[in-house]
Amino acid sequence: MDALKHAIDLLSAPTISFTLITVLFPFVFPPGDWFEKIHRKLGFWRIWTKPGLYISLVLITLFFIMGYYDPNFNITLTKPDNFPIILLVYSVVICTWLSMYKAYENDKRMDRGEKPAEYNDPDDKVLVWPDLVYIEFIALIIFMVFLIVWSVLVAAPLEEPANPAATPNPSKAPWYFLGLQEMLVYYDPWLAGVIFPGLIIVGLMAIPYITTSSDNLSGFYSFKERRVGIFLFMYGFLILWIFLIFIGTFFRGPNWNFFGPFEYWDPHKLVPLTNVNLSEYFWVKWIKTGLPSNILLRESIGFISVIIYLGVLPVLLAKYVLNDFLKKVGPVKFSFFVFFGLSMLSLPLKMYLRWMFNLKYIIAIPEWFFNI
Amino acid sequence: MSEEKFIPEASVGTPQGKGSGSTMERRSFFKWLSIGWLAFTAATGAFFTVLIRFLFPNVLFEPPQSFKIGYPEEFEIGKVDIRFKKKYNVWIVRNEEGMYALSTVCTHLGCTPNWLDTERKFKCPCHGSGFRATGMNFEGPAPRPLERFAIHLADDGQVIVDKNKNFKFEKGEWGRSESFLKV
Amino acid sequence: MSKKKSKQTLIERMGNSQIWKSIIRSGIPRTRRQRMHAILGSVFLHLHPARLPKHAVKIGYTWCMGGLSFFLFVVLTITGIMLMFYYRPTVEYAYTDIIDLGEQVPLGIMRELHRWGAHAMVLTVWLHMLRVFMTGSYKPPREFNWGVGVLLMTITLFLSFTGYLLPWDQLAIWAVTVGTNMARATPFLGNEGPGAAMLAIGDINLVHAGSDVRFALLGGRFVGEATLLRFYVLHCIGVPFIAMIFMAVHFWRIRKDGGISGPL
Repeated sequence: MDALKHAIDLLSAPTISFTLITVLFPFVFPPGDWFEKIHRKLGFWRIWTKPGLYISLVLITLFFIMGYYDPNFNITLTKPDNFPIILLVYSVVICTWLSMYKAYENDKRMDRGEKPAEYNDPDDKVLVWPDLVYIEFIALIIFMVFLIVWSVLVAAPLEEPANPAATPNPSKAPWYFLGLQEMLVYYDPWLAGVIFPGLIIVGLMAIPYITTSSDNLSGFYSFKERRVGIFLFMYGFLILWIFLIFIGTFFRGPNWNFFGPFEYWDPHKLVPLTNVNLSEYFWVKWIKTGLPSNILLRESIGFISVIIYLGVLPVLLAKYVLNDFLKKVGPVKFSFFVFFGLSMLSLPLKMYLRWMFNLKYIIAIPEWFFNI
Repeated sequence: MSEEKFIPEASVGTPQGKGSGSTMERRSFFKWLSIGWLAFTAATGAFFTVLIRFLFPNVLFEPPQSFKIGYPEEFEIGKVDIRFKKKYNVWIVRNEEGMYALSTVCTHLGCTPNWLDTERKFKCPCHGSGFRATGMNFEGPAPRPLERFAIHLADDGQVIVDKNKNFKFEKGEWGRSESFLKV
Repeated sequence: MSKKKSKQTLIERMGNSQIWKSIIRSGIPRTRRQRMHAILGSVFLHLHPARLPKHAVKIGYTWCMGGLSFFLFVVLTITGIMLMFYYRPTVEYAYTDIIDLGEQVPLGIMRELHRWGAHAMVLTVWLHMLRVFMTGSYKPPREFNWGVGVLLMTITLFLSFTGYLLPWDQLAIWAVTVGTNMARATPFLGNEGPGAAMLAIGDINLVHAGSDVRFALLGGRFVGEATLLRFYVLHCIGVPFIAMIFMAVHFWRIRKDGGISGPL
């Protein structure tokens, strides 16, 4: 048991767990033919069958039960404000599974030349009264009962009175913002707190305007024809949002250090956090001159790499990788698509730069509050 | 056929003497139209400006920003004084040459770091930023050192900290005389 | 309806009375026509069409998440109004009023209902978005309504966030301190944002801690009395008001964009 706990602790370190699920992700939601082949070969498709759901629910439940009886995990697990996260884990797993299960069923039907399961004869409609209003009514009552039971069983959290002089350790944002707070470890507030959330909102709103799959794929679950879109959305939603919330809730302890779920939250845990800027790497370690006093010259390498990432890379992509896509949607939609895609990618990118090279900032101009 | 086409009089520009009057009317109409729109835009802009200005009160009911903290001899050399953290959000640090007042606001996201005496550093509980006793950042996500406040001696020999003025290291302001009290 | 008029049940008698008929013109919804009329003639129910495709009433298709989100908004409005009777948004009283809400007020779970309902609403809104994405329902002609939905999700998060401060405990002020400090870094508008230093006339900074976007949100330089009041007003009136406008558009556009999405 202890060995298992230790193994889970090790595996859940963000460097390992994030890498693992990122590598596995395209095989679970295959965005291309090659991934699809391996997806079939290694049996990942079984996740989206009924036994797949049962096994994942049992595994998650076992994990939580194990946590409940562990003295360290129990503390975080039974915090009243963390109960929504447990709900979140279950409901997201069930809902993702349900949509993928139905999508696979529909894909099979459409391969056979049939209509999707949601299809009904347009003339064969049901009356809203009573068919829908009663369903709504029952749903409301069941949900209200659930909410009342929840409220009776779990008291709303109330900690000590506010004290502006004593910051609790760790202090966390509300759970639904923990993905953003996790982002703050890697990016400065103006990016992680303002620009990226703005881009998430605008990017989500832009989805219907920059996607290319047929409009006829609307109104039923499907995967095959929309696999790239679903892959990208699900990576953003499941990994860069839900998974980071999970990490932020359960795995971030005192001093925002990382702790495995079964690890004791030691406030004196020492983690070397000495990070180096790209300019220091370049000027001090590589060319072995001091940092130039001119800010723009000092950060020129950073500016060049950002310009390459956001300016040159899209052109290269357009020319060599995504040229079919460019032809299909035209330059305007393409630019927006690539911009949003690269912005999303920049988070895991910076994570890995930090983990591998201790890189702090690509452009570091604290004089102007301009750090990337 | 074309000669017989009926052309309504009003659609023809200026047939007779009354023409000059109608261009005048049209011209003045456009003038008034643009004035009207300009006035409307200005009024709307002014309305929203006032609305936003409304969010900024003229008087703030916050604790005084300038205060006395005692005589210089009361502060031990080499020690970080945390007595004024709760009330005024400053740390007073005394070294061989003098003393300075550090802001307790972490430059990352404004949490309050804790002074760890054994490790000789300020450690922020929110995201793990670390600062030396001088206020220099050396670990974690904090982008710049802690700010210092103006500090000087009052006429009665007590030390006054004035939080209205702050000094940022990255702008080279720590060299200014007000940021450091020579004792 | 072949029963004789003389042998009316109590319900039928009620349904045919003048009072009932003045409220619900169609009487008791028994026939197909009456049932459709029951929907069309009610100001609340006519949000629905009278008839729906079969898949639209299946819980496996809609997950009921959009409906539950709206239901939770109603629950939160009602419980929120109840809480407002006891809660005073001042540094002196806020915390003790919250304790009293649990201990001195009958039915001491009103605050729990409100808080857990708010958390549940964040969840249902996210799941609703997931469902709409996975069914491809954001595609034309519903692209505008998807955008409205994204804004509603943002508003939901902001509603929940403004409410987070009100208990005035350690959890509240530090979560809000961390959250609002990001506003300090807004480009040009925050005093520690890139570009803010450019907005200066000579030596006078136009954007400083007393004039930036964070100050407007907090009503002060740090989270204090004014912040509590501002968040209270935003939470109880300001943001719900905006949310209701967007919800009206959202629901109206569902009907105008062709009703619930379905395969062609």
